Amino acid sequence: MKRFLPFFLCLLLLSGCAALSGEAEPAQVQFFSMDTVMSIRVYDGGGEDAIQAARQEVERLDKLLSRTTTDSEISALNSHAGDGTLVSMEPEVIQLLAFAQSISQLLPGDFDITIAPVMDAWGFTTEEQHVPSDASLSAAMALVDSSLLTVDEEASAARLEQAGMEVDLGAVAKGFAASRAEAVLREHDVTSALVDLGGNITAIGGKLDGSPWQVAVKDPQNTSEALCVLSLSDQTASTSGGYERYFEQNGVIYHHIIDPKTGYPAQSGLLSVTVVSSNQMLADALSTALFVAGEEDALAFWRSRDDFELVLCTEDNRVIVTEGLEAGYRPAGEERGYTYEIARR
Amino acid sequence: MRSPAAERRRPTVWDGLVVLAVVLLAGVLVFLLRPSEGSAVTAVVTLDGAVVAQYRLDQLEEPATLTLQEASYPLTIQAEQGRICIAHSDCPSQDCVRTGWISRPGQQIICLPNRLIISLSGAETDGFDAVTG
Repeated sequence: MKRFLPFFLCLLLLSGCAALSGEAEPAQVQFFSMDTVMSIRVYDGGGEDAIQAARQEVERLDKLLSRTTTDSEISALNSHAGDGTLVSMEPEVIQLLAFAQSISQLLPGDFDITIAPVMDAWGFTTEEQHVPSDASLSAAMALVDSSLLTVDEEASAARLEQAGMEVDLGAVAKGFAASRAEAVLREHDVTSALVDLGGNITAIGGKLDGSPWQVAVKDPQNTSEALCVLSLSDQTASTSGGYERYFEQNGVIYHHIIDPKTGYPAQSGLLSVTVVSSNQMLADALSTALFVAGEEDALAFWRSRDDFELVLCTEDNRVIVTEGLEAGYRPAGEERGYTYEIARR
Repeated sequence: MRSPAAERRRPTVWDGLVVLAVVLLAGVLVFLLRPSEGSAVTAVVTLDGAVVAQYRLDQLEEPATLTLQEASYPLTIQAEQGRICIAHSDCPSQDCVRTGWISRPGQQIICLPNRLIISLSGAETDGFDAVTG
């Protein structure tokens, strides 16, 4: 029997190879929520239980935050616009409203969660997208003013002061969902995962071998190609661009990121803005706000802070990467005519 | 304590059999654990989470057309060797049709109104783990 011992030992050794190749396969789920496609991939820790718990958390938030779900907290707030009722809401929703208002104050004119009536006038929330008439657009614009949204954090309640006003959390909900999904995954001992909420990527930890995740930024002019690839760990990359949702009327292309100052699609000279931050909500909100702000204002705002980094793609085919991303970034669109520059403080 | 095998100078037939078995098994495992074919590209079509079609794009000899009447907005998928696209969709946004052909593992076509996803998988990847945008 002893001569067979080496045989079984070899078998044991070889079976180790099989186990190793199996380990690289993550537990993963892909699902539809918040009007987009989401996927969660978990490489360690609680696996299947972890992804299901994270998915449920995202779906719970969708029900809470959706403007199109009639029994959501946001629908309750909107339905009481102008009638004086202070609507009690979940503390987490109140915090999100307060956060969105703080971004409006930091970047006045570039970001406003009360833009919903204008989005509706353009039909971006429905199936019929069209250029609104001047009358309907100016009527909708009169309802956009986030200073008329009262948020009472102590009472955990909020109020829209003018009838017809509406809040839409489309520019912050995915970031909030990402922060909650990450918290749930970490409660399940996950330290290596990728959360993709409609193109907002949250990298949890790094890969199992300790190297950072490689996250490509989509080329806004050729969405099947990469503009550049970033190295991320414990960070969120959030991108906004006109290419994501748009329609054409009389030969003109109209995209869905509305400039709160004009009521028209933002014409800032940018094709896309990617914000990288360890704060998921900040990354989400700033990608929209800085797309509206434009290159110069976006870089000036970046220089005033140290909690995020940027990739800007301009209409004249320049890709501006801020210096915090320089290590571990690689350009990928030179053959498509892009030039790359590093912005410094 | 010395084993009987250790006392012998020459290997026996049985020793030879063990060597042979180990070599054979190693060969089998090398075959089983080999990386899948470099050029293999599989397209999986899911409608609201359920797989409705699957194509080995690299092995597709003739173009294939798939019309999904059961979708909320009926659509037509076209596949040919190495690539796949949504040729027509009744959906309002048309984002899926605009995506055009996809051919590389990791790429996806998504039709949100239909909750339809076409995703490509295979051994070769573009060298990144996720895409933002």
